[in-house]
Amino acid sequence: MADVLRLLRSVLVSLRLTVVLLAMSIVLVFWATLDQVHLGVWGVQQKFFHAFLVFIHLGGLVVPVYPGGYVLGLLLLANLIAAHLFRLRLTWRKLGIWLAHGGLILLLVGELVSGLVQRDYMMRLDEGETKSYAESNRDYELAVVDATDPNFDDVVAIPTALLARDAAIQNPKLPFKVVPKGYFPNSDVQMRASVPNAPASPATAGMGPMLAITPLALDYSEDAHNSPAAYVELVGPAGSLGTFALVDSTRLPNPQSFSFAGRTFKLFLRPARRYQPFSLTLEKFSHDVYAGTDIPKNFSSKVRLNPPDAPSREFLIFMNNPLRFGGLTFYQASYVPGDTTADEHTTILQVVRNPSWLVPYIACAAITLGLVIQFLLHLAGFAKRRAA
Amino acid sequence: MATRFPLLATAALGLLLAGCGDDRVVTYRVPKERDPDLPGMAAAGAGQSTNGGGSAAPSLPPGHPAVDGAGAGRPGEAMATMANTAVPTADGAPLSWPAPAGWTPRAAGPMRKGSFTVPGPAGDSDLSITAFPGDVGGELANVNRWRGQIGMTPLAPGELDASVRHLAVGGLDLVYAALLPEGDARVKGILGAMVPFGGGTWFFKLSGPKGSLQANQEAFLAFLRGIKAP
Repeated sequence: MADVLRLLRSVLVSLRLTVVLLAMSIVLVFWATLDQVHLGVWGVQQKFFHAFLVFIHLGGLVVPVYPGGYVLGLLLLANLIAAHLFRLRLTWRKLGIWLAHGGLILLLVGELVSGLVQRDYMMRLDEGETKSYAESNRDYELAVVDATDPNFDDVVAIPTALLARDAAIQNPKLPFKVVPKGYFPNSDVQMRASVPNAPASPATAGMGPMLAITPLALDYSEDAHNSPAAYVELVGPAGSLGTFALVDSTRLPNPQSFSFAGRTFKLFLRPARRYQPFSLTLEKFSHDVYAGTDIPKNFSSKVRLNPPDAPSREFLIFMNNPLRFGGLTFYQASYVPGDTTADEHTTILQVVRNPSWLVPYIACAAITLGLVIQFLLHLAGFAKRRAA
Repeated sequence: MATRFPLLATAALGLLLAGCGDDRVVTYRVPKERDPDLPGMAAAGAGQSTNGGGSAAPSLPPGHPAVDGAGAGRPGEAMATMANTAVPTADGAPLSWPAPAGWTPRAAGPMRKGSFTVPGPAGDSDLSITAFPGDVGGELANVNRWRGQIGMTPLAPGELDASVRHLAVGGLDLVYAALLPEGDARVKGILGAMVPFGGGTWFFKLSGPKGSLQANQEAFLAFLRGIKAP
């Protein structure tokens, strides 16, 4: 056992391991760059970097062939930490190296945490509109909304990942079970009447029987929009209420509604929402151009931030000047074009939740400071030798 | 022991973070939200986007530098999500309608069957013609959806009949609602009609300033009476 530990230790602290891991990282980046043609940025991130292993399709099998970004990053991290513990002594003369390497470790950990916990959303606002939620770029949810009360909606939001698992979903807020009968991350939807050879639909309720849903492969290209669809059966204590076909609400926004147990419910398959305890109102969107041209000069959104326990206040969001509030960062991301810039009244903000956003700044500062200290120590030593 | 600590700590951190999934059911209560509008409300003619690809129309224009922040290359995709994707509309032989003089036809876009700008004394109104499968929730739900869009309170089931008119137009039974809220001529209103046809429901919705809608109400009714089934 002691031998194994010693061997493990000698491998972990070895500089050769560092070089091998760096070389493997270069290969990973190169491979991912080539594959970006097929998968786009997001697809490549998921397949190569935000993954423990890289899988390829071989015949009908999916086999792991290469370590992913998480494995290489974690091994580099372990290598760096082990090298410090067992090879470097903590002395004043090594302070620069410790600081620089500490910054590097922080950078690696920060990237790992970002990759795992960062979430991106979009918030679309028309002038005068107030919203307290942002919507996911890619993740969808089945929202079962109890709309009985005239003043509020009770929402049960079920991530589509659960619809893909084929296990019945029960929630104390719902008087029925939601039983997934099929989930398609990307699909095409047509009227059944126009697809004569469409297979029989499992849908029995709502508009489902009239729709023909064709599953499609996920499209990873950058400007693609994957449009999910699902079949779900609702089962009450006395039996089935019917099987509904749910279609991406960005394609078919009106919900399917029904009454059960004296309550009115609505079903949406919509981009996953993230509500926050404050709201934003878009007061004015501006798209400035250079005089006499159509060349954009500036995009900005004047918003009113309405916190629950403080007076509302105005904030101007423009490029490189995001609004940071409540753990979220709101960037100016896009807008809905009009015939002229005066017709543009809708902004699109990118909303990012990244608890570790400060880490890269701290890490870079530590690395810089470490390198400066190390350089000065060397310079002082050199100057002393010259003087002697 | 000292050897194992960093390894274990690193592995534990990795496993801990890998477990940070969002795959759980969440429940919450929110103030009443109006239903999302039918896609006909989206600006027409903004460009085409089809499922599984195609360029989403609205995004930063050519020459505009990438915006700050992670995932900065995604605004186009975000728009594909939110603004202008293809919608399953009612298929089959379409209804036809007249094109009144003075109304400016606009590109229909992917979600509309037809689109006009209708001038009026208090400003232009927007006429959208859309069609969707099934009854889209029924007459009451659709009238209440329109009422919600302009801040009017929803009707109770018993109040619907007194609030709509039925127009018999060439074998079609149009349900017509004039939704003109209290307020001055600039307040937003809707003149809307819906008709079941070909397994779907067709919507003719004129929305704009109340003053313009009042001035154009007879012209809109004449337009509705010109609708023809094939």
